[in-house]
Amino acid sequence: MAVLTVQNLSKTFNLGTARESRVLDDISFEVKGQTFVSIVGPSGCGKSTLLNIISGVEEHTSGDISLTSDAGGPARMGYVFQDPRLLPWRSVMQNMMYVQDDQSPATVSRAKEYLDMVGLAKNADFFPGQLSGGMQQRVGIARAFAVEPDLLLMDEPFSHLDAITARGLREQLQDIWAQSKKTVVFVTHDVVEAVELSDRIIVLQPGGLIYEDITIDLPRPRRQTDKNVATLQAEVLARLEKLKAMSVAEPVA
Amino acid sequence: MTDQMVVGAAPAAPTGPADDREADARRTARFRRWRRNALLALGWVAIYLVWEFGSWWFGSRLLPRPHEVFASAVEIVESGNFVTDFSASVLKTFAGFGVAAAVGAPIGYLMGRYNYWRAFFHDGVTIAGTIPAIVYAVMSLIVFGLSNFGPILAVALVSAPYVALNVAEGIRGVDRQLITMSEAFGRTPAQIRRQVLIPTIVPFVFAAIRMCFAVAWKVEALTEVFGGRNGVGFQIRTEYQLYDISAVLAWTVLFIAFMLVIERLVLAKAEARLLSWRPEERGAAL
Repeated sequence: MAVLTVQNLSKTFNLGTARESRVLDDISFEVKGQTFVSIVGPSGCGKSTLLNIISGVEEHTSGDISLTSDAGGPARMGYVFQDPRLLPWRSVMQNMMYVQDDQSPATVSRAKEYLDMVGLAKNADFFPGQLSGGMQQRVGIARAFAVEPDLLLMDEPFSHLDAITARGLREQLQDIWAQSKKTVVFVTHDVVEAVELSDRIIVLQPGGLIYEDITIDLPRPRRQTDKNVATLQAEVLARLEKLKAMSVAEPVA
Repeated sequence: MTDQMVVGAAPAAPTGPADDREADARRTARFRRWRRNALLALGWVAIYLVWEFGSWWFGSRLLPRPHEVFASAVEIVESGNFVTDFSASVLKTFAGFGVAAAVGAPIGYLMGRYNYWRAFFHDGVTIAGTIPAIVYAVMSLIVFGLSNFGPILAVALVSAPYVALNVAEGIRGVDRQLITMSEAFGRTPAQIRRQVLIPTIVPFVFAAIRMCFAVAWKVEALTEVFGGRNGVGFQIRTEYQLYDISAVLAWTVLFIAFMLVIERLVLAKAEARLLSWRPEERGAAL
């Protein structure tokens, strides 16, 4: 079982001439097994920084992060970004294979499977420039799932899409996740989206502290139109009202 | 065409008025193509007429008539000199290009990647790019005398600054987000170089090659005129000394024709093929 442990994690940016900006302040949490966790919070509260630190793209200032893999050996991570970030000069299938360590037929057919799950099997030989933004983002999602990661990191993957495309992709994401049962850490500023997708929501507040850790216990598959999803969304939003006031009162350094 | 590919679906069955519009658009496109080709042909006719007029005005001893030059060109091709001298010139040009790429590309890489190296190389490369080609031709001959190395060095010196500047521009244009993506998925620096950096530079390198090509040929021939022992420039000088003007022009015409073939058929096609992922190139490549 994949376990992500974050212990007393802090991150400060050096702004030069002895000025520092604290983005994450002594954060600790643990994510175990087949869980979908969302990290929510207003802009500038360190959500994306946290994700970058977990993925290893950014260094942290103090604290510990560990990730144990499902199968033993080094843990694998998949990443879905805000933009698709596909290589424009490689076909969809070549993009899927670029992030794979081995190029065996088994891996190729697995990549095809995930491409099929996002409904793009017939576009495997297209170049990204021939696909719409939503289709490109679906390739990005399939690419991340296809590496069979122990931990899948998603950084506001639907924020650049129109509402209807985003809604379709959220449903698709739930279906793929239900089949693959990966550990997912999903960053979003959209509480409504987080309630629809997650088992658990970690709310960050400005200054990089954990404001609240909410468990969402609703049956799946969930749809945006479900009544109990809507009720819980309203409830969570109400609980975070105070946070809104705080983010206005305490602008991020 | 691109729009249909984006949707990935067959176009809807045409209705009456839309069908008319489409037919109209096709007719307009056909007419435009026809008009363009007609003007192209007219341009060639104009060149021919100006030439004929010039021959009549100056006398065909000074400026041989087109058919005389053509006959002379046929003679050169039949004699076999064409193949040996052209291959000599082509090989020297490509060798020069090779040297330019070997020197210019790494310099361009350093200039694009690191600001310190940019500071170090920038002015030198700019100066090297501004020096007139004839200076390179003369200097190369002084260094190497009558040998094949003179033209090669001249071509290399003329081309290297272009290659360096274009590669530097290409590297600076690399999409940082693709690099972070690669790092997040644990790709090695070698993989990132091959899959992200090099494909980014390719269009810039092609621009450099095509730009150099036009200049390099002329420099190569010029260097041969001064001090070659074979090649097109050497032949032009020989014919000039024999005062065989129609042969001088015949070599020139063959030279131009050959250059156009390489430019249009080889370089342009290769570029379209390599860059077929770009929407604007796709039409040309497929």
